[in-house]
Amino acid sequence: MEFPKITRRTFLKVSAGTTAAAATAPRLLHAMENELGGKDFDPVNAAERKAIPINCHVCNIQDGAIAYVENDRVVKLEGNPEHVSTRGRLCAKGNSGMWYSYDPDRILYPLRRVGARGEGKWKRITWDEALAEVAEKLDAALKEDPNTIMMKYGRNRTGGTLDRFMQTLGSATVVNHTSVCESSKKVGMEPTWGPDIETPDFANAKYVLNFGSNVLEAAYFHNPLSQRVTEGRIDNQMKIVTFDVRLSNTAGFSDEWIPVFPATDGAVALAIGHVILREDLQDSDFINTWTNVTVDELKAHYAQYTPEWASKISGVPVETIERIAREFATTKPATLFTYRGPAKHLYGSYNEKACMMLPIMTGNVEKRGGYCLPRGMGWPQPEPQPGKPAKASYLSRPPDYPLAAHKVSHLVPFWIAEGKQKINVYFTYQDNAVYTNPGSTAVWGKLYKDEKLIPFLVSMSPFMGEETALADLILPDCPYLERWEPESMPNSLWPWLGIRQPVHKSLGESRENRVLLRDIIWKLDPDGSRGMKKFWDFKDGEDYMRHHFDNVPGLKEAGGLDFLKKHGVWPIYGKLDPRTGKVTDKTGREIQAEYGLFRKELSVADMEGTVVDAHGLINKNGKAIGIRRNGKNYVGFPTGNRLINVRVDEWAEYGFNPMPTFKRIPWHEAMQDDEMILSTFKLNVHKQSRTAAVKWLAEIAHSNPAWMNPETAKKLGVKTGDLVRIESAVGYLVTKAYVTEGIHPKVVSIPTGFGHWEYGRLATLRLKDRKGDASHGADDPDLDNVWWDDKGVHPNNIIPVVADPIGGSQGWFDTVVKVTKAGPNDKYGDTQGDWDKHVAAFKETMRYAYTGDLHRKMHPEMASWGGPESVKGKAPGGH
Amino acid sequence: MLKTMFALDEEPHPSAPPQPMQSPEQLRSECVARTGVYRLLSAAFIEEPGREFLAALRQPDALASLAEAGLAFDDDFAASDLDALVDRLSCEYTTLFAASGGFPPVESVRLTGRYKQEPHFQVGQIYARCGFVLGRGRFEIFPDQLGAELMFVAELLERSVQALDAAETAEFARLEREIKRFWTLHLGRWVRGYGRLLERAAEHSFYREMGRFLSGFADEEIAAMRLRIEDLDQARVVVPKREIRVEFNPDEPVCNGCGPDPGAEAGTRPVATVHPLHDLR
Ligand code: SF4
Repeated sequence: MEFPKITRRTFLKVSAGTTAAAATAPRLLHAMENELGGKDFDPVNAAERKAIPINCHVCNIQDGAIAYVENDRVVKLEGNPEHVSTRGRLCAKGNSGMWYSYDPDRILYPLRRVGARGEGKWKRITWDEALAEVAEKLDAALKEDPNTIMMKYGRNRTGGTLDRFMQTLGSATVVNHTSVCESSKKVGMEPTWGPDIETPDFANAKYVLNFGSNVLEAAYFHNPLSQRVTEGRIDNQMKIVTFDVRLSNTAGFSDEWIPVFPATDGAVALAIGHVILREDLQDSDFINTWTNVTVDELKAHYAQYTPEWASKISGVPVETIERIAREFATTKPATLFTYRGPAKHLYGSYNEKACMMLPIMTGNVEKRGGYCLPRGMGWPQPEPQPGKPAKASYLSRPPDYPLAAHKVSHLVPFWIAEGKQKINVYFTYQDNAVYTNPGSTAVWGKLYKDEKLIPFLVSMSPFMGEETALADLILPDCPYLERWEPESMPNSLWPWLGIRQPVHKSLGESRENRVLLRDIIWKLDPDGSRGMKKFWDFKDGEDYMRHHFDNVPGLKEAGGLDFLKKHGVWPIYGKLDPRTGKVTDKTGREIQAEYGLFRKELSVADMEGTVVDAHGLINKNGKAIGIRRNGKNYVGFPTGNRLINVRVDEWAEYGFNPMPTFKRIPWHEAMQDDEMILSTFKLNVHKQSRTAAVKWLAEIAHSNPAWMNPETAKKLGVKTGDLVRIESAVGYLVTKAYVTEGIHPKVVSIPTGFGHWEYGRLATLRLKDRKGDASHGADDPDLDNVWWDDKGVHPNNIIPVVADPIGGSQGWFDTVVKVTKAGPNDKYGDTQGDWDKHVAAFKETMRYAYTGDLHRKMHPEMASWGGPESVKGKAPGGH
Repeated sequence: MLKTMFALDEEPHPSAPPQPMQSPEQLRSECVARTGVYRLLSAAFIEEPGREFLAALRQPDALASLAEAGLAFDDDFAASDLDALVDRLSCEYTTLFAASGGFPPVESVRLTGRYKQEPHFQVGQIYARCGFVLGRGRFEIFPDQLGAELMFVAELLERSVQALDAAETAEFARLEREIKRFWTLHLGRWVRGYGRLLERAAEHSFYREMGRFLSGFADEEIAAMRLRIEDLDQARVVVPKREIRVEFNPDEPVCNGCGPDPGAEAGTRPVATVHPLHDLR
């Protein structure tokens, strides 16, 4: 029998006629990506893997994650779908976290140095020996002065354990890393509105001004916020304008990329404000009600910041400034975001302030789609708690920087070298200053190698980073998948509490930090007679977490720590809709954030026993709890006067301009034609120093050529791949050029996170396979498929210290350099920094401090200031 | 030569004709000799060699027999002060095996590039099935650490001797298969190359010679057991890539026709009482 010829058209007709039947056919296959259920299965035997909720800690965004464990081994990491910020997604770094646990270079036992510092010769010792040695050194230091015991930490997510340790010892010498991170952003914001960061509501915004943040790749809060940026851009047709010296991926995703001359974002922001006020586009009601200035005062102050003035400084055309000002002020809602771009300069705090003024003057604060306050949650500390140390520490509260509430850690080596404070025992925790700080080996390497300045250096680390390699004693800490830690991070508009919990027993003899600190104290005070042991009365990390979490109202009723162990996060706001990737309520609608936090009215009970002063400030028991406005009692902003302080009076006390302002960097003004500015940046797969040994990430990005504009390259006669020599006032390096239009012609830019000389075999690409080799990077299967032989060049040796006299930030993007084609004697990877030249840079930057001779010169508008003497004896400020 | 010292046959090779049947006494003395070698090597690698161990090894008799086996220690081992040697070797041990940048004597690391991968679990399961738990010495170690794996074989050999003494030939044959299987699935895959690497990279003659001893002995053992095992380690600077493999097959067939594991069959052989691996303390 022959079938009639059936054409494709005939088949398709069948489809049309059978739609209803087809609709009833069973559907058993689902797109895998839509199953965001927090489950995972073994591909061979289909057994469900054990899912343990944790908090990612590859970088500091603190995304909620799930570790899938099979056979007591983590085989996969994934976003926690119950986590309101993360919504089931992790970035590439977060997906790679298990490499830390199983890294063949991981330190699993206490190690005592046996050669010279940094020589790489170690002896494995028992914990008992290690603890006894530490206790002995601490004992001696305590007899002399507790402040000679120093703790310097980098990424500290212990939830207060390090401070407890130092307070137990009675030492105030606790130094963080914030000045090389974001301190001037914080100090620019805190006195103004309270918190140290903003949460832009990208998902609902219509217009975004982005000053120097690369949120799609790095910055706070990369993963959660980049999801919201994408939503706003795609679902809400939000416009993004990015000011950056470099065409980052965020700039590339924007509607407009406006390359500014480095360190001039603040001038552009002020000029935008000028146009808004000049054209009466401001939200007068908001300004007059919620700030400590009037619209008239603001207009008068901003009159000086013309677009012509800003254009000359920044290179941004006048008409662009004017157009953007109008667009920003008339498109509602609008928000703004900054990160290191404006803040990491000599006067970074002023720049940050200038930027945050734009959402303030347009009344976009705490609105849906606007510029919101961060939302976080706290937790109680275990009792009893040690008291504050008796004596202040010079290094942790340097008197020349009274407003730098987040310290000035990058100047610490110079102060120690000057003898400002003696150190007997130096603890380092998740820090790697010799790699991450300005001056790098030339400065911190010099400090650490000097046994007179640092007689005993203890590193608590699971990895042989550049700093740990210089230690006298290494106490093997656990990587993040083996630790208990409390978490909360304002990385979306919904506050949450979370935990990190060990996904399996720690490897070898590593001990999590809080346990090893406890063990030190127990060794020091075995019978409790020194009054130290009682602060460390806990069995293990889990027991410690119970002290944190079992009594938090709301969480307690939900089950306290047990709830967190099961879910990783609290509260759970809704269900993740696999179709939209958004968190929905019971009705299937996306959950909505709460806005207008400062407009929350105080209850009758709150108002009981309050006193309202002439400015409307509502005081209760000597504490400001709110502000009366138009007859209503609001909570206001978390500042002393419950308002937004456009004018920061405390700045004026130290001779700084209390109003939004901009200061041109003097040495930028004096730049020659053949000089450029060196900037640095992060790529999406690396963080500061701890990802180069993660193979999946290193394979994606392992080298860091210097970006330069074709115009510049043409002048120098170089093309991509050619060697260039970059020389600053403190040193030089030789690297490869990457020629691209995506960079300002006066800028040369180098990504950080590369060029390691320690951190294990993958980071260093160093092998030991014969007698006499350094003991780094043994032959190793991990080096297989390492098809690259270029590990990059680290730029920090040639970056001098610069300290913002207000916020204390390092001026990472202020270095003037000369770039030339490499000479015959220049080799790829050459780098050199000079201690004496770095010292000269340190002395120069101190001249800008409020006590320095250049302070007045930089602030002619503060001529009536009474000088440093006028504030002598005043307690340092901060927030 | 190694074979002389440890009473191994001359020139055993997989392609060689079948060996003549050995008497129980011959088998017994061979097992005893092999146990000694495994224990010696295990002690060299499981942790930093202790004072007593080194003192015993430096006795003229011991040195002579090691020399006879072709091990030529330099004066840094044979003629140095004992306390200084203990200290020196513990530093060398740390540099080679326990500090960052060295080459941990751990099968997971050697074959997959990471700690705690498949071999870690497989070996742990084998110990448990055979009734062992891994105790703690001066330091906590992984089950697939070289010293532990060698110690496991030593323990099985000791049981073999007991089986011979009790004329339990089936049990002896089972243990022999167990040892072969362990070599095939574990030791044989990595220790030869690893020993050569150690020989090449060690600074101190003790580890250089122990590396040589390890690879030489492994060659001999594999040949004597008539196994064919690919050396996956190869002492290579770059060895085949192993990405995280999320599955493994515990029923993986063993080579050279070893029969199914009788112990694995339900009821045929209950798990022996827990027998801690040698505790070095
Ligand atoms: S941004 Fe990436 S690395 Fe950072 S916490 Fe989130 S998932 Fe982890």
